[in-house]
Amino acid sequence: MKKINSYNSRPLLFLFLICIVLLTTLTGCSSAKADSKIQITFWHEMTGPAQVQLEKFVNEFNKSQNKYTVVPQFEGNYNEAVQKILNTHGTSASPAVFQSMDISTSQIYNSGYTTPVQKFINADNYNVNKISAVARAFYSKNGQQLSMPFNTSQPVLYYNASLLKKYDITPPPVDPSYSDISRVAQQLYARSDKKVKGLSVEIYGWLFEQFLANSGESLANNDDGHSGTPTAVNFSGTTAMTTMKWIQENIKSGAFMNYGSGSNAPTNEMAGFLSGKLGMFLQSSADISQLTAGTEDKLGITYYPHPDGQKSNGVSIGGASLWISNDKSRKVQRGSWEFIKYLMRSQNQAAWQAATGYLALNKDSQKEAVLQKLYQKNPAARIPSQQLARTVPNNTNSGIFMQGLIQERTLTQTAMEQIYDGKNIKSSLQDAEKQMNSYVKSLNQANK
Amino acid sequence: MDTQITNKNPQMRYKQRKEEKPLMATGLSYNKSKALRDRLYALIFLGPSLLVLIVFVFFPMFRTLYLSFFLTNNLGKPTVFIGFANYISLLSSSAYLHSLQATFIYVIAVSCLTLTLGLLLAQTASQKVRGISFFRTIFSGTMGVSVSVAAIFWLFIFNPSVGMLDQLANLLHLPAINWLTQPGWAMTAVVISTVWMNLGFTFLIFFGAIQSVPSTLYEAAQIEGVSKIYQFFHITLPMISPTLFFVSIITLIESFKSFGLIDLMTAGGPDNATNLLVYRIYQDAFLSGNYGLASTESVILALIIAFFTFIQFKVLEKRVNY
Repeated sequence: MKKINSYNSRPLLFLFLICIVLLTTLTGCSSAKADSKIQITFWHEMTGPAQVQLEKFVNEFNKSQNKYTVVPQFEGNYNEAVQKILNTHGTSASPAVFQSMDISTSQIYNSGYTTPVQKFINADNYNVNKISAVARAFYSKNGQQLSMPFNTSQPVLYYNASLLKKYDITPPPVDPSYSDISRVAQQLYARSDKKVKGLSVEIYGWLFEQFLANSGESLANNDDGHSGTPTAVNFSGTTAMTTMKWIQENIKSGAFMNYGSGSNAPTNEMAGFLSGKLGMFLQSSADISQLTAGTEDKLGITYYPHPDGQKSNGVSIGGASLWISNDKSRKVQRGSWEFIKYLMRSQNQAAWQAATGYLALNKDSQKEAVLQKLYQKNPAARIPSQQLARTVPNNTNSGIFMQGLIQERTLTQTAMEQIYDGKNIKSSLQDAEKQMNSYVKSLNQANK
Repeated sequence: MDTQITNKNPQMRYKQRKEEKPLMATGLSYNKSKALRDRLYALIFLGPSLLVLIVFVFFPMFRTLYLSFFLTNNLGKPTVFIGFANYISLLSSSAYLHSLQATFIYVIAVSCLTLTLGLLLAQTASQKVRGISFFRTIFSGTMGVSVSVAAIFWLFIFNPSVGMLDQLANLLHLPAINWLTQPGWAMTAVVISTVWMNLGFTFLIFFGAIQSVPSTLYEAAQIEGVSKIYQFFHITLPMISPTLFFVSIITLIESFKSFGLIDLMTAGGPDNATNLLVYRIYQDAFLSGNYGLASTESVILALIIAFFTFIQFKVLEKRVNY
C-alpha cells in the first residue's frame, strides 16, 4: 500500500515543481521587461488597415520621444469594449487612454471615470480650432471638450459610376434628394433588365439617426440631449415616416436590395457592390479605401440624401473618440494627452485618411502631399471632407447626448427590419418608440 | 473535552482500532474523534473544489438572482430595488414572448432533426459494406469544425449576391431566397447550420452504441426471418435507449444554449426572428449594459431548462432499458 503511494506521488511532485519553475521564470521575464519609461496602456477597437496604421503611429510616437511607451491593445468590437472599460476601471488592468465609440459618449461621461481633455487643452493653450468643429461638437458638453474625436467618418452615398455610364444614366447630383436617388435606382434596375439592384440602405441605426439629423429633426427631446437628459424619443416623426416610405416604395419596385442587419450586412453589401450587382448604397466614408482597392470600376460619391423640398441640415459624424482615464497618475494622464496630440498632428491625420478613409480632422491636413495625391487619383474622395467642412454644427447634427443609445439602435433596427419586410411603417416605428421610452424611463430612474 | 481524552490515551486508541470495538465505554469518545477526523479529511479533500464551486458557480448564481430584482445603472451596479417588475415587464413584453416562441421552435427543430439524422447516419454506417470506414470518418467530421469556421462556411452558401444557393437557384430559374434577411428563412438557415454542426457528435455516440449491441440478437432475429426494419425498432432502438436518452438531453440543453452560430450568422435578426433567449441575454447584458434585465432573463432560462430536463427524466427514463 505504501509503496504504491510513493510511486504515484513522485510524478505529481515532479509536475508541481515544473509548474513552480515555469511560473517563476514567466513572472521574472515580465518584470525584467519593464523599463524606466512611463507605460501608457491604450485600448482600441480598430481592425484591418486602420489597425495597421494605428500601430504604426504608436511605434512612431514611442520612437519620437523617450519619456513614454504606449502599449496598444485591441479590445474587440465597440459595443463590448464599452463594458470592458467600465468594468475594469480602478484596477491595474484598466487602460490609461482608450478609444470609445460615438454613441457611448454620454455613458462614458456619466461614469465619471475620465478626465476631460479640455483640462489639457487649457493647460497647453492647444489650438483646438484647427480640429473640425462638427467632430468636436459631438464629444463636448456645455462647451467643454470631453474627449478628442479620432477616427471620424461621415455617412455618404456611393455609386458605381462606370455602371451608370454603361447604362447611360445621369449620376445623382452632389447634394441629392430622395427622389434623385429613386430616379437613378429605378433606371438602373430597369435598364439592366433587372440584373442590377439600384439601391441598398443597410438596416443600421446610425443611418436612421443620420436621416433625422440631415433634415434637422431631433431624435430625443431636450434638443437631442444637449440641453438636458432626454426623457423621450422621436422615432415616428415626419422625417422618419417620409424616409421609410421612400425606402418601402423602392423595395416594392424591386430596385432595392435588403442586405439585412448585423456584422454580415455591410460585408455582403460591399460584395454586391464590388461584383456589380448593386448600383448605389449609403455607408460610412471609412469604406472608401476598401471600395477603391476592390474594383476597376470608377467610384462615385455624393452627400447624404435629404427629403425632397428642403435643404440638407448636414449629418453628424460617426466613429470614435479618445478618452483619458482618471484612475491613473498625473504623469500617465499627461503622457496620454501627449499621445493624443501626436495623433492629431496635421501630417498624421492626413496619413490616417489616406490609409483608412476616416477623415482628417486637422484642417491643415488638406494641404499635406499625401492627401493631395489621393484627391488627384480619385477626385470623389474629396466629397466626405467637403461634407464635413460645410456642415455648421447645431443641436440636431451633433450627435445625441443620451445613454442607452445601443438599445435605441437595436430598436430602430428592428423597426427597419419590419418595414423592409413590408409591415406598416407607422405602427413599426411607434412600437419601437414606445419600447425605447419605457427603457429610457427605467434608465433615468437607475442612474439618478 | 473529547480531544483531551483521546490525546491522553493514544495507546488506547490504537488498541481500539485493532480490536474494532468502537462502542465500548471509551469507544464513544473515540467515535466522536473519528467523526471529527473524517470531517477534517472531507474538508481537506472537498474544500478546494467547494471553493471553486462557490466562487464560480454558487456566487454568480445567487448574484444573478439578486440582480434580477434591481434596476442597474450605467456601471452595472444595482441601484433601485423593483421587486418582480423585471419579471413582469419581460413576461408582458411581446418581443420577449416572441423570443421565447422562436427559441422553442428552434430547440424542437434542432433536437428532432439532430437525433433523427444522427441515428439514420449511425445505422447506415453500421452496415458492413466495403469502404464504409471512409464514410464513418466523413460523418463524424463536423466534430472537428469550430463554430466560427462553420459560420463562415454557411455564410458563403447563404450569401445573397455571390452565395452558392443563390447561384444554384439562378441556374434552375427558381426565385432567389434572401436566406438571412427574411424572418422565416433566417430561422431555417440557422437550424440547418446548427444541425450540421451537431451531427458529428451525435453520430459518433450513436454509432458507438449500435456497435455495442450483441450480434447474437441480430443472428437470432435473422434465423426467425425478421425484417431489417423490425430489427431496428425492436432490437437496436431498445438496446441503445440509454444512449438515446443521454443524447436527447444533451442536445436539448445545448440547443437552448446556442449562441455562436446565431451571433455570427444573423445577430438575432431579422425582426428578432432568431433572437433566442441566450442571445437576448448577451445583448441586454454586454451590449446594452442592462444587467438587471439580463439577470432576470437568465433566471427564466435556467427555470425553463430545469423544467425540460425534469420532464425528460420523468417521462423518457421510463422507456429506457439499462
